[in-house]
Amino acid sequence: MLKHTFLAASILSSLTLQSLHAQSWEDTLEEAKGQTVYWNAWGGSDNINDYIDWIKMNVKDQYQVNLKHVKLADTADAVSRVLAEKAAGNNNKGSIDLIWINGENFRTLKQNNLLYGPFSHDLPNYAYIDESSKTSLTLDFGTKVEGMESPWGAAQVIFMYDTDMIEQPPKTMHQLLAYAKNNPGRITYPEPPQFLGTTFLKQALIETTHYPNALSKPVTQVDFDQVTRPLWSFLDELHPNAWRAGSSFPSNSEQMIRLLDDQEIDLALSFDVSAASVQIDQGNLSDTVRSYVFERGTIGNTHFVAIPYNSASTAGAQVVANFLLSPKAQIKKQNPTTWGDLSVLSYQNLNPQDQAKFNALPRGIATLTLEELGTSLPEPHVSWVEALENEWRKRYSR
Amino acid sequence: MIKQSFFHYFAKLTCLRLLSILITIGLISPIILGLAGTVLPAFDYLPALSHYTFSLKPWHNLFQSPEVYGSLKLTLISGLLATFLSFIIAFSTIAVFYESRWLISIRHTLAPILAIPHAAIAIGLVFVLSPSGWLVRLFSPWLTQYERPPIWVSVQDPYALSLVLALIVKETPYLLFVILASLDQIKTCELIKVGTSMGYSRLSVWRKVIFPLLYPLIRLPLLVILAFSLTVVDLSLVIGPNTPSTFAVTLFHWYNDTNLDKRFTASAGAVLLMLIILVSALFWESCYQVITRFDRYRWSNGKRHTLFAPLLKGAAFSYIICVVLALLSLFVLPIWAFTQRWRFPDVLPSSWSFKKIEQLSPLLFDLACVSLVIAFISTLLALAISILMLEQKRLKPANTKWFDRFIYLPMILPQVGFLFGIQVFLIWSNNSGSLLAVIGLHLLYVLPYVYLTLSGPYLAYNQDFYVQAICLNKHPTASFFKIKLAMLKPALFSAFALGIAVSFAQYLPTLTAGEGRINTLTTEAVALAASGERKKVGNMAMLQALFPLVIFMLAQWLPRVWTNYRLNFQSIFR
Repeated sequence: MLKHTFLAASILSSLTLQSLHAQSWEDTLEEAKGQTVYWNAWGGSDNINDYIDWIKMNVKDQYQVNLKHVKLADTADAVSRVLAEKAAGNNNKGSIDLIWINGENFRTLKQNNLLYGPFSHDLPNYAYIDESSKTSLTLDFGTKVEGMESPWGAAQVIFMYDTDMIEQPPKTMHQLLAYAKNNPGRITYPEPPQFLGTTFLKQALIETTHYPNALSKPVTQVDFDQVTRPLWSFLDELHPNAWRAGSSFPSNSEQMIRLLDDQEIDLALSFDVSAASVQIDQGNLSDTVRSYVFERGTIGNTHFVAIPYNSASTAGAQVVANFLLSPKAQIKKQNPTTWGDLSVLSYQNLNPQDQAKFNALPRGIATLTLEELGTSLPEPHVSWVEALENEWRKRYSR
Repeated sequence: MIKQSFFHYFAKLTCLRLLSILITIGLISPIILGLAGTVLPAFDYLPALSHYTFSLKPWHNLFQSPEVYGSLKLTLISGLLATFLSFIIAFSTIAVFYESRWLISIRHTLAPILAIPHAAIAIGLVFVLSPSGWLVRLFSPWLTQYERPPIWVSVQDPYALSLVLALIVKETPYLLFVILASLDQIKTCELIKVGTSMGYSRLSVWRKVIFPLLYPLIRLPLLVILAFSLTVVDLSLVIGPNTPSTFAVTLFHWYNDTNLDKRFTASAGAVLLMLIILVSALFWESCYQVITRFDRYRWSNGKRHTLFAPLLKGAAFSYIICVVLALLSLFVLPIWAFTQRWRFPDVLPSSWSFKKIEQLSPLLFDLACVSLVIAFISTLLALAISILMLEQKRLKPANTKWFDRFIYLPMILPQVGFLFGIQVFLIWSNNSGSLLAVIGLHLLYVLPYVYLTLSGPYLAYNQDFYVQAICLNKHPTASFFKIKLAMLKPALFSAFALGIAVSFAQYLPTLTAGEGRINTLTTEAVALAASGERKKVGNMAMLQALFPLVIFMLAQWLPRVWTNYRLNFQSIFR
């Protein structure tokens, strides 16, 4: 009897929850109507900006949400702004409603309780996501996501080279070092703490260290010096043979692409798998450039959108986040002529029509297939970022 | 009747006095707030991050940071060297070319270089000077045999020499501008006539007579240049060294670090940077005092020629190199704006296209409107305030004692630290993100330049003209506009044009006050500069330069067309 009551109660409660949930999304849609959502997103790339304009048009037509793109030079600017608003006691009329975010910026906001949520699991389109398919969907650089940000896209490190200039590009860090010694001044990487530069350090660490298991643990729990010693001796050998003899480094992927095109360097890095095709299309790279990944794979991660705690348009922001997860938006995004950013949706969870649309997507001439990209290497625990950056600065920036 | 009109006049004067006090308060309060927002976190106090107790931890962290000493060294070297060389080059150029037709050509180069935003000129310079740059392309492969760019470190060198060069290219024209404006006040032509008639060579007149008279007039602009060179962020980001970078850039990175604790270290660094500016200024001034003390007897030793003559000529010649570099940098921007494909070692693009500018045109129109509104309002306000304050100062220098003390602080304080303090205040007062706030912050940076440029000519104005006018027509207010301001037109127009250029170049103030919602050509150009794509940057920078450029040209042309007589001073652009 008691058991039955429990069962009934639990069914009833789950039903109410469900209807409550359904109800609350309807409410969210209703509430979102007419709201203005200020989306702070990095604005350094034309094709991404155009894609955001397309999103803007769609959410306006479908949900009457006014989306405004606030173009950032650096996502950390948005983090400082939320912080400054908290400092000034602006707790419910914040200037930011949605941030394109991941990694350290996310950790900073989450740790300081500056985020709204959890919300992502309540988005109807979250059903298309299979959390088990990728650790980075639930573990953003080692920080638990816990519904405080909603996935938007996936990225993986790729290398680019000009087939006219090199026949066999280096495919491991050891080959890279040998290449640099034979071709002084032609290899470099972005300057840490720029995220791609730090990622290069992590990639080199994964390939050189004798203790690969240590990287998934917080840095305080391992012997940092012992684990990273091979990395520093690798860099000590690389730098004298690097671009500008290691006295300065490019500031980001775009500058590397420019240097590759100027033939100042032989290899460029990007976190955007379609970078080579897009840049060829825009006349910034020769059409003989191709991309590739290292033999053991390259580091990959997921990027998200999050809502600051003091946003006045949380409903509108959720509606936008939900639309970003729709198959329509994700298919458009993965199209290399639009952006080429990888979808976060699980192929199996899609209906056949959408699957067909994904299959039909064209690829740029220099973009790798999912198979060619292979399995991405997981990001080390987030605490490694700062430890590596500090040690790097101590050694090479004085 | 006369008595009554004078009574009104004095009532008006009291009103103006009150207004000047209000303006002084309006200027001082944001500066104090900004300073508090920098200094308090430097001692570990920032309630926003739950730091409620004072401590020296930020300072400890600052001096523990590995790159601090390297960056400080670079900052001091580049700041002092750039200021010193700019000064030598500017002074020599005028001394050598004064009263020659070359000076007219040189004057023509001032406006464009002054009007171009720092970041744009730096980007242009990088493209001209880097191993794959225009200079190497011009001579490859037919002369150099380079099929690929050579392995040089010609920009972003670890000694910051390329940064010094960029600073010189940018600052020398400003100094020339200031010196030319000041020369009008010391009757240079007469001095040269008298000097040469006594058998002194022209260059020794410049060294022995004009230099001692001139220096006090340009002391402040020099110190401003020193502070600017020590704290500049955008220029050194583009062309400065990066492992380590200059101290201001290091601070800029710390302020933007996701680790919020870095903010405290950055604040301590910002305070240190202020101290460095102070110490460098003292060092500079004491060097001048020491040198003049030893040099003084040579001024009157009767020798008709100076041994410095070759040095002055050499420095003047190097200005021509600066101009050539600047012009190359300026030409390269529009070339990139219309490029489709341009690879090394082609001298010019292999294919051209209007695609980029077409794509950008609606955006460019919006941005141009916002930029112009902000620039015009802030500059007009700055001009009105400057005239009012200078008039008060003329009546009684003590009237503007506090204003004078604080006016230069925004120019001298490092933007990276100072603006964070102001940002908190803006959000607290619910003004953040408004056009008003952006104009306010622009005013804070435009005002000192306008005031500084105007104060020399304004205070040197021969008040007898005005007094004579009142005696004749008994209308103090009308005479003020019709006689005094009309005669000061060239100075007013120059100050206005400079104000517009300063406003157009502002990046951090626009971003801080505008919350990223108010975008100008500059914020957009810098956001795009991060993309490293020269075509877009070329487009943006070209337009960003165009408006101030046109206004500079108008400032040069209008006073002459308006009234060709009655002008107290000649236009300093000619």
